[in-house]
Amino acid sequence: MEVLNQRAALLSNYEVLTLLKELESDHLARTKTAIRIKKEEEAAGLPPKHQAPPDDVCENLRTVEVEAIQYLSADFQPTGSQTPEGITQLTRNLARWDLTKAEKLQIVNLAPTEPVELYVVVEELEDRFGNQMDDILNTVKETLREAAPAVNGTSNGAEPSQAMQVDAAVYSEYQDDYQDQDQWDYNANEVVFDDTGEGAGIEGDLDVDDD
Amino acid sequence: MFQLSIIKDTVAVHPSQFGLSPEQAITNELNKKYANRVLHDVGLCICVFDLAEVGEGKVRYGDGCLWYKVVFRLTVFRPFASEVIIAKVKSSDEDGVRLTVGFFDDIYVPLVYLPEPTAFDPKERAHFWLPGSEATSSHELLDSPLTDRMYIDAGDVVRVRVESDEFHDDEPGPPKAHEGVQQIIENRRSPYTIACSMSEQGLGPISWWKNAGVETMEEG
Repeated sequence: MEVLNQRAALLSNYEVLTLLKELESDHLARTKTAIRIKKEEEAAGLPPKHQAPPDDVCENLRTVEVEAIQYLSADFQPTGSQTPEGITQLTRNLARWDLTKAEKLQIVNLAPTEPVELYVVVEELEDRFGNQMDDILNTVKETLREAAPAVNGTSNGAEPSQAMQVDAAVYSEYQDDYQDQDQWDYNANEVVFDDTGEGAGIEGDLDVDDD
Repeated sequence: MFQLSIIKDTVAVHPSQFGLSPEQAITNELNKKYANRVLHDVGLCICVFDLAEVGEGKVRYGDGCLWYKVVFRLTVFRPFASEVIIAKVKSSDEDGVRLTVGFFDDIYVPLVYLPEPTAFDPKERAHFWLPGSEATSSHELLDSPLTDRMYIDAGDVVRVRVESDEFHDDEPGPPKAHEGVQQIIENRRSPYTIACSMSEQGLGPISWWKNAGVETMEEG
C-alpha cells in the first residue's frame, strides 16, 4: 500500500452522506435480489445450490456506514434542510466574499444562520466583513430548505414544500427496506428451523432432507 | 471533516467473486481492507470513493486469485486543524471531556481547552463553566450556587474547534527471545486521537449560544 496523496480534496458532509446512503441502498437492493432468487429457486423445487455468500459486505463497512449516516443526518446537523442545488448555489454566492476554502467548506457543513455561529467559523469576522455579516447569513438561509431551522432541524410542518415530501418519500422507502430486511430475517429463520418432519430436533441439519 | 485520499494498492480477487464485475469485486475487496480502519497519518477510512486506475488482473503461481494493481480514492475522516465540528459529549472526568461523532470517539477536550473559569464537579461527574466569575481555584468555583453553573453534561451536543491530532502506531514488533513468554501488558493507546477546544466564544454546548446575540460576543 502506498499513499499517493494524503489530502487530494475535501468533501462536504452532505456529499459523504449522499455517498453513504447510495452505498446503503445499493446494499439493500442486492440483498433483496439475492433473497428473491433464492425464493424462486425454492419455489421451482431446485435443490439448494452451494450457497455462495451473497457478496459478504464486511462488518466494518456496515458499521461505519450506519454510524456515519446516523451522525450526518442527526437533527443537529443542517444536512436535513440542504439540497444539492442549494449547496451549489451557496458556494457560487459565497464567491462574492473573500473567504478561504476552509471557511467556505465549514459554512457549507455547518450552515450558520446566527452571527455567533459565523464568528466561530470565519476568522476576524468583524475586521474583514464588518457589516456584510448579515448578507452572508442571509445567503446561507436562502439556500436552506424553507421552514427548517438549521440549528436543530425541527421541521415546522406548516410548510409542506415539495422537497419535504420527496424527503419523506425517501425516508419511508428506507423504512420499507428495513421492514423487508426484518421479513428476510424471519423467512431465513423459517427455512432453517423448519424441521417438523423426520429430522425433528436436528436443527439446521440440511442434509437430513437429502437422505 | 472528510477528505479524499489517493491510495495505490494491490488487491487479490478470489475466484468465487469472478461472477461480479471486476469493478464491483475490487471495490468490495478494498472496502473489506480499509473500511473503519485508521491509516497512519491519513485518518479514519470510511469507504472507497471511486477507482482511478486499475491494471490488468494477473494470476500468480500458487493461488487462483486475480491480482490487480489499483489506484483509488478513499473517503477519509480527518478534520483539519482549526476546523469547527459538532459532536456529542460521551463522558467527562478530571482530565477533560471525551466527545463522540458516532463512528469515531477518540476526541478529547483537555482541561486547558475548556472555557475559563471551569471546574469539575465530582458529584455530577461533569465540568461546568461559571461565566463572568472571578474565582480562580476550583474550591471557590465549587462553592458557587448551582444555578449559576453551566454544565457540560454527557449527551450534550457541542461545537468544538479541532486543535491537533495524533497518530500512534503501537503494533508490537517481533517477539524477542529473551523476553520469554512473559507478556507485558501496556495500556494501549488508540491509533488516532483528536484534541479539540471549546474555550472560545461560540464554542461549547450548542444550547449555550442558541439565542445569544452579537452583544454577548462583544462582551467576551
